[in-house]
Formats: sequence, structure tokens, C-alpha cells
Amino acid sequence: MSFVSPFGASTSKPGHGSIIIDILPPDQPVLRTLSYQYPLKLVAPDPLPPPSQGSTEPNNNTTPRLVHTIFLLTYGGGIVAGDAINLDITLATNTRLILLTQGSTKIFKTPSPDLISKQHMTVHLQRDAALVYLPDPVQPFAQTAFSQSQIYHLENEQGNLCVCDWVTSGRSARGENWDLYAYKSRNEVWTTDDATGKKRLLLRDNLILDKDGRTDMRLSARMDGYAVFGTLILRGPVFSSLSSFFIEEFEALPRIGGRNWGDVAQPQLSLREQRRAQRLAREKDDRLIWSAANVRGFVLVKFASREVEGSRNWLRDMIREEASVLEAFGERALLCLK
Amino acid sequence: MTSPSADQLSLKDEIVDLEKRLQDAKARFKPSDAGPTKSTVTADAALHALLLLSDSALPLGSFAFSSGLESYLAHHKPSPPSASQLPNFHTFLRLSLSTLASTALPYVLTTYRHPEEIERLDNDFDASTPCTVARRASIAQGRALLAVWDRSFKTQYNDAAADANRHDTNGSMGSNVAVKALAGFSSALRTSEYINVHLAPLWGLVTKVLSIPLHESAYIFLFSHARAVVSAAVRASVMGPYQAQAVLASSELQNRIRGLVDQAWHKTVEDAGQSVPVMDLWVGRHEKLYSRIFNS
Repeated sequence: MSFVSPFGASTSKPGHGSIIIDILPPDQPVLRTLSYQYPLKLVAPDPLPPPSQGSTEPNNNTTPRLVHTIFLLTYGGGIVAGDAINLDITLATNTRLILLTQGSTKIFKTPSPDLISKQHMTVHLQRDAALVYLPDPVQPFAQTAFSQSQIYHLENEQGNLCVCDWVTSGRSARGENWDLYAYKSRNEVWTTDDATGKKRLLLRDNLILDKDGRTDMRLSARMDGYAVFGTLILRGPVFSSLSSFFIEEFEALPRIGGRNWGDVAQPQLSLREQRRAQRLAREKDDRLIWSAANVRGFVLVKFASREVEGSRNWLRDMIREEASVLEAFGERALLCLK
Repeated sequence: MTSPSADQLSLKDEIVDLEKRLQDAKARFKPSDAGPTKSTVTADAALHALLLLSDSALPLGSFAFSSGLESYLAHHKPSPPSASQLPNFHTFLRLSLSTLASTALPYVLTTYRHPEEIERLDNDFDASTPCTVARRASIAQGRALLAVWDRSFKTQYNDAAADANRHDTNGSMGSNVAVKALAGFSSALRTSEYINVHLAPLWGLVTKVLSIPLHESAYIFLFSHARAVVSAAVRASVMGPYQAQAVLASSELQNRIRGLVDQAWHKTVEDAGQSVPVMDLWVGRHEKLYSRIFNS
């Protein structure tokens, strides 16, 4: 006699997770689905109203009433060889989500370079949805093989993204310096045209660190002494102010190789110029270099520094100084950059 | 006087023997010496096209860009300042070739194999080029190559393709698809807002149309880049022209290019990506140099 379970079949698969944020009419954002399976763990604290709501500006309908926050965690605080994590996220029209991690994503040693751990995240953003994903960096230890992808799908090129992907050289305290077997990280943004249903690639940022390339150099030499590399991807009206801030600050960087002949009278510095001068001094101390570019409706910021903390502090200070993300999403957005 | 005649006799024998061997050898050589065959005509055509594309003026406009070399040198000032920049240059050339092979070469190979997909590949390459300086350089050279095709090569190769179509129905089908794809791409450029004309995909397409073997096409693509970087180094006073030729002639460069072509041979464009992340920063920060001799 066969036993028929009275419960529905479990749809969860190891490492799979799903997040759906929907709108409860008329305008209440709700976390409709939050499911996950070992080794993935998702934690969702109560959503908070955005700080900007309390301000005096007229509360138009485009500002959502709540901002959701979700922590992406793994049991054991990292990814063990052979783990595969798959996360699907859907953000309904006009919802907002902050994704966070708790500490760097550690990639543990693999017994064989062919055994690759994987982390795959797909995010569907409906019209006017916004995602802030400013995680801790990925930290691949020595002798690891890891591949991750973050794929974002937009509708009609709409949607707002502020997402960062960064990686460090390993446990520098233990002398690890890009001693990994392979590291791959892919960020893609696709758009689907409503009318034609056609998919089009808007952006692909693919980093591949492996033994290929015929450089006859160790990975650490290829990295030119930097211990952290990162890319910040910005898109959409919600982040347009932050985007132009990065572009303006990049324009305002002093010329490389320029000299101060001392024959220009120092004008009275504005507050922003003073902050910039302080930041530039820190960039110099941290040996941090960065660039910003306006491409295909995105602002792409690339940065590298000698130490992880240099990049972390720099990114936090830039976003904090510009302030629009904090107003729209609250302090939680920057939790991983503290 | 018996000994001279004996010598003469042995010499005579030797002559007879040698003549016989000569005839044998000639007879054996005959079959492969039956004049230029059809296959060598096509090989000559490919060689001719190869020579056209390996002109040092191509990629057109490459002289205006340093592919990040100028910025790299500005970020790596030698100390003392009088020290040679040569070691830095060699490191840069390796990294630059590696980057090109991992980001652009898969597009050359894929467009050659699937010419009809040129528009998608051009879009995807554009989406994968994160820095405006590299983007401008790639588009400037791609458009220049398209202009060379339109104004100089098109008449010749369109006629040749039509000829081949009349006389011989098989064999040239592949390059016919490519001719059509190129014509379509060239005319779509005027109407579509999404077409950029990047060098890498267009290079694959044009070499396909010119019937250059794929391996050679990929090889020249990398070699032209090496030549552009080396030429930039000469103009940036890193090395002299003789040294530059020595770098280009070196077996080290040959092995490197061959190895890179092999590594990329089966790579899909989805797996194309940056293997030297700091390269994006060097190239992107070229705009911030105080003094520049190259375009950014």
C-alpha cells in the first residue's frame, strides 16, 4: 500500500532560493515568497519606510512605502567546494530591495581545480523596481575554483540598479595573494522589449581569472599589486543622482602627471571641494585608483586598491557623501560597507 | 699509362650513374610539378587578401591609440626617472595581448563562423566593453575597416563572389552568406541606432568574405594589435625602431600569439571576458593624463 503525503510536493532543491516582492493593492509592498534550502540561508528583517518619506517634499505615488532588506547567508559563512547556489529574485513594479551579505563570501579550498563551486543569481525587475546590492567582497582562498553570475532582467530597459561586485586576493594575513585556481564572475543586464518580446544584452561585465592568457606571469603579478578589484553598476532614475556624482568626481580628479607649480593662487574651497581634497588624500594613501564611464545608459565604476579596507571606505564615503541612496533606502543599504 | 684510362672509366661510370639518378629523380618529381593547380589559385587569392589586410596602415586609425600603453607607463614611473621603460613595456605587451585574446578574439572567431549573426555580436561586444576609451578606439577602427571595405574591396570581392556563384555552386556558399551579411550590416548602419561597428566582429566578417583561413585571420588580428602597441611604444620613446622590429620578429611573440589563438579557438562569446582587470582601469584613466600623445 502506497502512502500519499497529504502535503504538497516540496519544490525546494539544495542551494535554491527564491525571493518575490510584490505589491498588495493599492500600494503596499510585501514579501510574497521567501524560500531557501541548505546551504543557502535568507534572512529578512522587517521592512522599513524610506527616510525620505518623512521629509517635507510632496509624497508622490512613485515612492514606495516600504523598503525590504534581505541578508544572503551561507551555512558556515562561506562556500565549500562543489556547492551550488541558485537564487531567483523578482521585484514587482515600484518595489525596492536591499540585498546584503554578512561578512565576505569565503570560498574554501577545493580538492581539485575541476571541482568548481557556483553561485548564480537571477533578478527580474519590473518597471520602476529598484535594487541595491552592495555586498561584502568575495574572498577566494588559495586553491579554490569559483564561478558566479549575477543576471539582471529589465523590461523595456526600465528598472534601477545599484549593484557592486568585488573580489579580494584571499587571506592576506596568511600571505595569500591571488593564489586561486580559477575565479569567474559575470554580471549581465538584459532587457526584453514589451512589443516584440525580443531579448537584448545591455551590459556584460565578465571577469575571468585563470591560468589562460599566455602571460607567463603569476596571477598576483597580473594584478599589479592590487588586492581588491570591483565594479559598481548604476542604472535608472532612482540612482541618476549618484551616477552623475561619480562621473563628476571622476572628471574632477587631478590630472595624472600634472604638477603644482605653486603659481596658481589657491581659491577659497567650497565644502564639496574640501571633501574632495580629503578624499583624494585618502585615495593616495590607500593607493586606490578608479574610473567611471557612461556607457549604454549605465554608469560603470571600476576600482582597485592595495587593501580591502581602502576600497570599502572609499565606496562608502562616495555613496554617503552623495546621500541620495541613504535618503531613498536608509542606512541599511550601506551595512556591508561599514 | 693504364691508370688514367682506369680513372676515366670509373668517372664515366659515375656520370652514367648520376644521370640515371637524375632522371629517376626527375621522373619522381613530375607528378607534383604539373603547373599551378586550382588549389594554389585559391591559396594565392587568400595570400593576396592576407597581404592586403596585413598592411601596416591597418587597422586604419590604430596609430591614434596606444591601447592603454601611454596610461600604463604613466601609472608605472620608473625610478630613477632615467631608468629604461623597456621591462615595463614587455609586461604591458603580454597583458595587452592576453586581454585582447580573452575579450575580443572570441568575437573574431564567432563572427567568422556565423557571419549572419554580425548585428547581435556587434551589440554584445559593445555591451561587454566597459570603458569609453577602449570603446572609442574599437569603433573608430571598425568603422575605418568598414569604409575600406565599402570603398576599396567591395567591388572586387562582390564581383568575385558573383562569378564564383555562376561557375561553381559549391565551395563559395559560405563566403556568399558573409558577403550578404556584410552588405546588410553596412546598410543597416544608416538606419539602426543599435549598430556600433566594433573592430573584432567586423574583422571576423571581412576576413571570412576575403576567404582568409580562420587561423590566419585570428593570427593577424593579434599580430596587428601587437604591431600597433609596439609602434605606439616607438612613438612614446620607449624603444627604437630596430628594437621594435626585433620584438615583432621574436619567436616569443610568435609562440604567444599561436598559444592565444589555440586557447581562444573553442571559446564562445559568452565566455569572453576580462582576464586582466587592472587593464580596464589603465585604459579608462587615459583620459586623466596630464599630457597625451595618443587619443583617448
